[in-house]
Amino acid sequence: MSRRTRFSLVAALGALAAVAAAAAVASTAATPGVTAKTVTIGGTFPLTGPAQLYGVIPKAENAYFQYVNARGGVNGRKIVFKVYDDQYNPALTVPLTHKLVQQDHVFADYGALGTAPNLAIRDYLNKAGVPQVLVATGDSYWGSQYKKYPWTIGFQPDYPGESRVYGQFIRNKVPQAKIGVLMQDDAYGQNYYDGLVQGLGDAKAKIVDVEKYDSTQTDVSQQVVKLKASGANVFALFAIPTQTIDALVVATKIGWHPTTFINNVSSSPLFMGLAQKSGADVQGDITAGYVYDVWNNPSSATTKLYKSILAKYDPGGDPLDANNVYGVASAWTFVQALKQAGNPPTRAGLMKALTHLNTVNPFLYPGVKLQTTPSERFPIDQQILEQYKGQTWKPFGHVFSKAR
Amino acid sequence: MLGVAAIRRPRTPSGWIVPGLLAACCVFLLVGSLSSSLFAQQTVSGLANGGIYASLGVALVLIYRATQVINFSQGALATFTTYVAWQLMSWGLGYWPAFVLTLGIAFVGGIAVELVAIRPVERRGNVLTVVIASIGVLILVEGAVGWIWGSEVKFMPSAFPARAIHVGGVAFSLQDLGTIGVSIAAVVVLWALFQFTKVGLAMRAAALRPEAARLVGVRVSWMLSLGWGLAAVLGAVAGMMAAASPSVLLQPSMMDGVLIYAFAAAVLGGLESAAGAVVGGLAIGALLNLLGSYVSWVTPQLLLPAAFVLMLVVLLVKPSGLFGRTQVRRV
Amino acid sequence: MRARLAWQLAVIAGVAVAIALLPFGLSDYHRSQGADVAVYVMAILGLNIVTGYTGQISIGHGAFMALGGYTTAILTHDHGWNDLATLPVALAVGFGAGVVVGVPALRFHGAYLALVTFAVALAVPQLAKNYSHFTGGTEGLALPTHTGLWLYGVGWAAAVILYVLTWLLLRGRTGRAFRAVRDSEIAAASAGVNLAVHKTLAFGISAAFAAVAGSVYVLVNNFVNPDVFGLQLSLYVLIGAVVAGLGSLWGILAGAAFVQLLPIGLTSSHAVSSQAVPVIFGAIVVLVMALIPRGSAEVLRAALGLPIRIRSGHHSSTPHSLEAR
Repeated sequence: MSRRTRFSLVAALGALAAVAAAAAVASTAATPGVTAKTVTIGGTFPLTGPAQLYGVIPKAENAYFQYVNARGGVNGRKIVFKVYDDQYNPALTVPLTHKLVQQDHVFADYGALGTAPNLAIRDYLNKAGVPQVLVATGDSYWGSQYKKYPWTIGFQPDYPGESRVYGQFIRNKVPQAKIGVLMQDDAYGQNYYDGLVQGLGDAKAKIVDVEKYDSTQTDVSQQVVKLKASGANVFALFAIPTQTIDALVVATKIGWHPTTFINNVSSSPLFMGLAQKSGADVQGDITAGYVYDVWNNPSSATTKLYKSILAKYDPGGDPLDANNVYGVASAWTFVQALKQAGNPPTRAGLMKALTHLNTVNPFLYPGVKLQTTPSERFPIDQQILEQYKGQTWKPFGHVFSKAR
Repeated sequence: MLGVAAIRRPRTPSGWIVPGLLAACCVFLLVGSLSSSLFAQQTVSGLANGGIYASLGVALVLIYRATQVINFSQGALATFTTYVAWQLMSWGLGYWPAFVLTLGIAFVGGIAVELVAIRPVERRGNVLTVVIASIGVLILVEGAVGWIWGSEVKFMPSAFPARAIHVGGVAFSLQDLGTIGVSIAAVVVLWALFQFTKVGLAMRAAALRPEAARLVGVRVSWMLSLGWGLAAVLGAVAGMMAAASPSVLLQPSMMDGVLIYAFAAAVLGGLESAAGAVVGGLAIGALLNLLGSYVSWVTPQLLLPAAFVLMLVVLLVKPSGLFGRTQVRRV
Repeated sequence: MRARLAWQLAVIAGVAVAIALLPFGLSDYHRSQGADVAVYVMAILGLNIVTGYTGQISIGHGAFMALGGYTTAILTHDHGWNDLATLPVALAVGFGAGVVVGVPALRFHGAYLALVTFAVALAVPQLAKNYSHFTGGTEGLALPTHTGLWLYGVGWAAAVILYVLTWLLLRGRTGRAFRAVRDSEIAAASAGVNLAVHKTLAFGISAAFAAVAGSVYVLVNNFVNPDVFGLQLSLYVLIGAVVAGLGSLWGILAGAAFVQLLPIGLTSSHAVSSQAVPVIFGAIVVLVMALIPRGSAEVLRAALGLPIRIRSGHHSSTPHSLEAR
């Protein structure tokens, strides 16, 4: 054989061997993130930066995972939860998510927070077949665009669904309503506004004024003053926490006392307490909730468990902050799905479990069920209306089902 | 040197432009407020925000006058000292004892930051290096606040009662009035310091002509540290008032939004003028509210650019700010 | 003289070869990180031209990056353009914007100029939010993903081209004019340098580079929204430029690597709590400023045995620069 031919033969054999080895490795490769003793998941959250008040959520989630690990984990595997700080900046979310997938080999991207951050990584994760689960945002995309993005699923009730409930309530129970709306001037606010209009139906004309604010404006007194001047007696407050507190205080200060609806994201008793201390009169305000009522049931077994989990594994977490209840409820949901994802768990198994949910989550309000089907991918569809009395939210009425 | 300080330049005809402009603005606001209670309320609420910008703006001016440095970390330092106050109160101290103790801690802290982070840099670097160092301090201090105290929003009580007084359909919050009052008081105190005391004169000398000042016995480096310490005290006051305001609250990033407008206020008023910072701050606060209320094509997102465009227009006419002195550069 | 030039060329060639070969030993994730370093190289190059070589402080380069980034995003997302074809467009858009900013900037100096550019950096994301039907608003625009290798290649090709252009520019008459403006505007004017033209040109070129950097940044992240181009980006470009060493092309890689790799390295290393990361990064920035105030260019030049340039600070009262040759 000539040297050239010999060389070519060796090269070809070498290539063949490499391909065979790769195939062998691939076929016996375990699911990324799963070993005999651990399951590794990860997510990106705003731990610093402008959205950092939501940074308590991954701490509460991790607390629950530690609790489960202390009891042997899921099918003998402990959950390792890698939390990365993306500062709500998609330019950080993308590389950090790439790192989670390629370097940390996570089983799933869990609980990532924020609409824009999740939109930025959705294509990548779906292409790579990495589950993007229980994302912490109330946009409808995660439930409605599942055909194009089958690996993605949300958790909390979507924003339009929530404000639809408010709209329906106003239509049925507040006949003389003149509604003033304060909304964030972007998709977040628009989501709530659209839902409100849908819920109002033919009573849509009751909206007398809509004022908008930009997230860089921390003072919304200009908008609230105009709303009062419009003669509104119902206040639809679709703002994030800082502006919500400001709006409530300003309203009281200028002598405006409408029936106020506060969106769930901003209605944590933590924020209501701050508003009260700053002089806002929040008695009688209304919101929609879906997590377990730890505030009015201090001695129930669930509340005691919740508080003990936080005390032991997230001592800096304030048990009164609804975001912490949210975190524990979300983590419970993941663990539940992981249990049904196979042993050893697979990614496809996880998605199957999450799209076939039909269970009661102890950390959700009694009557609010976790329900999904492969074509109905909103895990939480139900909410309960609550009215602020004294220092806490008091649920009233019955659980609104199928607000869709 | 004292003789130099006492010279006053005669006012040229063009020197009446700025006071005239301000007078016109005041008349406009007054007339508008008297004819519409909505206008009045918007102006009053806007001025309240302006008070917060002004209070931090004065601290920025002080640092610039004393050290010729744009201190990006002023807001973060203010935040840190405000958290210290909160911590003292949560350990049981009353509001006023905690307030006073915090001012002392701020003074020491400001000097410490200058000694540790700025002095070593200033010695061998140039202005831009010091600016970067101040950015480093900003990142560090804001991060430290979140690390030590967590990212949850907290409550800071106010020095003033939370009542509002109603005059002719317009609500005046005592807290807001107090904030504006304190800012004005700070300007007066600073003016007195620089105009009448030897220390103030020494600080001015150290900033403008360090070599000459050394020759007459001024300890220049101590003057710079003093500048940082005093600015930190002003920042602490600004922070405590801001945190008590419902539009800011006590959270690690609380001063981020304020800093932007505080800079705008300081630049608008002329970086060397504390009074200018107050006028600038109040003007910006009122302007933002009125623009947002009455000019419909200024959407909420465009408010910040609009405010800056107006600031730019003023600066194009008078590049050293409303009350700044035109810089004469020698060859 | 010739030996020194040969030394310099050898070092540059070595670095170029290293950059070209590096991706083949890296994972896909690290290649994307490498592309991000190229982004900062271009942005810092731009900032160096206007601040380091012409003496005009700008802390608003994130705004020009945003313009380039959105140009690429909108052309690719809404009009189906090829990614690479958008880069020259971004360059042109950036140049235009730089001139538009540079003209009023002629009126300002020092701290005032810095704060005016700061205002521009904050205003541009607001404009992006406002014209949301072009820009996608806060929910942004999602773009096709690319492999790390492609991004690395594109990013570094652009960076190398811009670097060579900068070197050629600064060697020639324009470069000397820039330096003259920086060192003493009055002396330069009396020597016949047209201040307005050169200062505006510096802004234009600098913004053009930043715009291309922004385009590549958007390609790397396959996403754009106003938060991507926030204040932090402008501050990081400035930090990177000063760590690199203003007024010299040597340290740019070090400066870019510093601001790109250190923060995300700290965040993702889990060696410290996430909330301690800014404390550490801030402390390191201060430390670097205290130790090497003139940036890594100084250190590199010393290490390579090149002559030290004694350069006075901006706007000081005794401006002159001595170049020992």
